[in-house]
Amino acid sequence: MGKARRPVQIVILLFIIVLGGYAIGSTVFGDHEGRPTQGSTSPDFKLLGMDGSVHSLKEYRGKSVVINFWATWCTYCVSEMPALQAQWEKWRDQDVVILGINTGEDRLTVDRFVKQVGVDFPILLDSENEAVQKYGIVPMPTTFFVNKKGNIVSIHEGELDLTMLDEQIEKLIEP
Amino acid sequence: MIQNTKCECGHQNRVGTVLCEACGKPLYDSDQSTEPLEMRYDGVARRSQKSNPNFIDRIWNFFSSVKVAVYLIIITLVGAMFGTIFEQESNFVYFDPSTFYKQKYGTIGDIYYKLGLSHTYESWWFVTLLVMIGASLVICSLDRVLPLYKALSRQKIRKHRQFLIRQRVVYEGPVENLTGDWISSAVTSLKKKGYRVKHDEDALLAEKQRFSRWGPYIIHIGLIIFLLAILFRGLPGLNVDKHYWFPEGEITKIPDSNLYLKNEGFTVEYYPEEELPEKFRESGRVVPKLFETKAVLYQCTADCDDPSKDPLLEEVKRHDIRVNDPLNYNGFKVYQFDFDLTPKLRSVTPSLVRADTGESYGKFKLSMTNSEETYQVGPYTLELSNKYMDFDLNEEGKPVSKSNDPNAPAFLFVIKGPDLPEAGVQYIYFPKQIDKERFQQDAINERLGGLDSGLALDVLGMEDVDFIASSSYLNIRVDRAMPFVWIGLGIVMLGLVLGFYWHHRRIWLRLDGQTLILGAHTAKNWFGLRREVARFLQDMGVDVDEKHLENRGNQV
Repeated sequence: MGKARRPVQIVILLFIIVLGGYAIGSTVFGDHEGRPTQGSTSPDFKLLGMDGSVHSLKEYRGKSVVINFWATWCTYCVSEMPALQAQWEKWRDQDVVILGINTGEDRLTVDRFVKQVGVDFPILLDSENEAVQKYGIVPMPTTFFVNKKGNIVSIHEGELDLTMLDEQIEKLIEP
Repeated sequence: MIQNTKCECGHQNRVGTVLCEACGKPLYDSDQSTEPLEMRYDGVARRSQKSNPNFIDRIWNFFSSVKVAVYLIIITLVGAMFGTIFEQESNFVYFDPSTFYKQKYGTIGDIYYKLGLSHTYESWWFVTLLVMIGASLVICSLDRVLPLYKALSRQKIRKHRQFLIRQRVVYEGPVENLTGDWISSAVTSLKKKGYRVKHDEDALLAEKQRFSRWGPYIIHIGLIIFLLAILFRGLPGLNVDKHYWFPEGEITKIPDSNLYLKNEGFTVEYYPEEELPEKFRESGRVVPKLFETKAVLYQCTADCDDPSKDPLLEEVKRHDIRVNDPLNYNGFKVYQFDFDLTPKLRSVTPSLVRADTGESYGKFKLSMTNSEETYQVGPYTLELSNKYMDFDLNEEGKPVSKSNDPNAPAFLFVIKGPDLPEAGVQYIYFPKQIDKERFQQDAINERLGGLDSGLALDVLGMEDVDFIASSSYLNIRVDRAMPFVWIGLGIVMLGLVLGFYWHHRRIWLRLDGQTLILGAHTAKNWFGLRREVARFLQDMGVDVDEKHLENRGNQV
């Protein structure tokens, strides 16, 4: 039989390995709920900020980002706000950004709350629950610590206190 | 050891050849045998048959074996059975599998879950088996179809005597009146029977319906397409199966798409008691007769990705979704799944009235979400200073909202206008009567100083209250792999039809002096072939009983 036999054989076997490997790989490593986990890349989002302009996560690449999902009706979210504000003031000069993503409340509610509590880190409105779904948020508050490369270093569900937050951010900015 | 694979006719055969590729002489059997030959793949070597296989050849040989393919299929079938013992995780929308199986089935259920059998069909080993079957399909087919194609397209007319007399339909005998044109009249006779005939001076090959030989390989192509379709369903965008709530009267964005759906009205109808069977009536069961969501699907045409602007929507489809009657927009399907009849306040239109005289200054619409910041009512300006969707007082006695659902909405206004202090007066407003009493609106307002103004907000009639009557829970499904599944299965069907209704028939014939030797082969319907050969021989003046054409080998 022809001389083309061996290359054809190799090409077909390679095809099977690549396609089969992809099929198997996507079932083994494919996250079924699409929930980002520790170590995975943080999904991008595009949300309206309280400052009136649109913000996406991408624009913070190169900075360490703390993404905090919250709502005014969530008691623990409310009580951790001062800690977040304190850490924002402490770390903002070292390329650390704290993003507060409000889950589904309207502008007025958020505006009054923010003024009342006195936070001035960027607050984004997730009115369509876009980011909530991408990040698979179940309990609130949930906080994602994202490093400069955009990878999720750790995920914290529940209330954060000042020292815990401090430690996490310190870990985050470590080169 | 180098095998001698050279036939006596001078043809050099490949290793693994059973019947000489040129003259058809059996290469391994003794010359005395008359047993019917094994005609699979026309006796040619499969591609993988080599004298000293290397590593790649060994992999290739493994998958090229039909025996291996059969074992793979059996293992896959057994594996698939495990997935039918208990319900699979994919059947549920919300549940926690780690506790569900243990609670429902006890320890066995827990073991079942821990072994990963609760998602058998998405497990690595099951997918691996499917991939191996796919590999086996491709390699088995290639390994056989190419040599077979070559063998069938390069057939020699003149075959070895042994090849002919060891077919299952054989005739060997003298021919009377053998003249020069015997062959050409045989050709005519066979052509009339639909055969394609090739001949030389004293030998002839007639065959028909050769295409049916490709049936199995066409089936394999179909199966490969089918397998690829189901293995790659998981690619992004090919398969979506999500559930979302759609409140009545609202346009809701469908996540991860540029589509929006408006639930224009949801209805549920129950079977009246007299239509229910007795058992149901006794237990007081209610059975829904009809769920229907009047749905309108919109596509975003501009400003879709900019949360600071409202998207520009264009209606693309309108459908009344019922159970098993989904909205279908180019494969984007929306099924009825569930509903919630709890009404939710959408907006109220209170009037600003003078508390003592009841004189009204006018109405304004106050929506629960995205409320305006200021309202002008008559001479008065109402500034919304805060709002609480689910009003409550916390431990410190401060107003908070317990959730984002308008269960107990409360609005805190600052009213400014004639005869009021310049800074305005604070006034809290509970649209729901029940909350007014529960939280004592008047008492709060008294403390806030709101009552001093003598003004009050009140809803004058039910027409001033707008409810979201219900919410419909819809299942969004996209399955772009399905057409490929159908195409694959269609090709399988085509292959099956080819193999079922047509059979490759071949007749070889040679004249050795005054003796006619004829052999005929088919894969199915030997009786038909025997009869056809007998008729042909009759045409040619050879009278033979069709039963005598059968060659049963040495046992006769």
